[in-house]
Amino acid sequence: MNKDKALEDLFLAQKPQFDDNEAFMASLNKRLDAVEYIKQHQEATIRHYKMALVVAFVVGIISGAVTIAFLLSTPAAVPLFTFRVQTGWLSWLAANSRILTATALSLLMTFGLISIVGNIQDIRSMRSKAGCVIPSSFH
Amino acid sequence: MEREQEALRGFLLYLCCGNKEEADDIAQNALMKAYLSSTGYQEKGRFRSWLFKIAHNTFLNHKASLRYTESIEEARELVSSTAADASFEHQDLYLALRTLPPKERSAITLFYLNGYNIKEIAAITEASEDAVKKQLSRGRDQLKEKLKL
Repeated sequence: MNKDKALEDLFLAQKPQFDDNEAFMASLNKRLDAVEYIKQHQEATIRHYKMALVVAFVVGIISGAVTIAFLLSTPAAVPLFTFRVQTGWLSWLAANSRILTATALSLLMTFGLISIVGNIQDIRSMRSKAGCVIPSSFH
Repeated sequence: MEREQEALRGFLLYLCCGNKEEADDIAQNALMKAYLSSTGYQEKGRFRSWLFKIAHNTFLNHKASLRYTESIEEARELVSSTAADASFEHQDLYLALRTLPPKERSAITLFYLNGYNIKEIAAITEASEDAVKKQLSRGRDQLKEKLKL
């Protein structure tokens, strides 16, 4: 496609000139400093968040293992807990105390794992928002 | 970035039809986005095109957020007000550009002011070459009519 000579001349004759480049760059640098500060702050928050997750994970694994080991070490015929008052419902609870405790523990660990996975996804989305706004590919 | 900012500001000044304050604001946002994405930049030797692409997208997002619908009369009022580039002698071009849709305005500016070819414009504006040709043709006819060239 050929250029229209009259239009091209008009555009080139009126090419903008800027005499405030220094002021523009100073203002831009100020904004970039602010962005860099927020980025660093966000990175630090993510690092702390990650550390807290690792600690929670390790504590969860250890406490889970200890509790399961305790459950397994007690005699199978003896209930984990008993009640002074003997009613039908409480007796059933005491008789099934091992399986009920194991189920409660499993549920707790499942919720813990779901929460950890959710937090990891949050961290990833925070990273992607902070790190890369524009796709870098250019064709 | 420092070397490219003048070309970028010129491009955006035309897209904003002489509104220097708005153009500089978009330029700074575009440069900040480029800075944040610079770690992923891999297109060696095409930095300016990459920068223009970011600026073009930033401009379109800005316009979309403003729900931009202005007539030539509104444009005349705006350009003649304080925000216009005071050093610009012939504001007719800005006024005529303002009547073009943003995508046509981008294509025309990149073609006539920045000297990009159709293929490059298609890459910057993420449009097909045929679409760019149509935008240039329509934009040129409209500008010539408005400017009485």
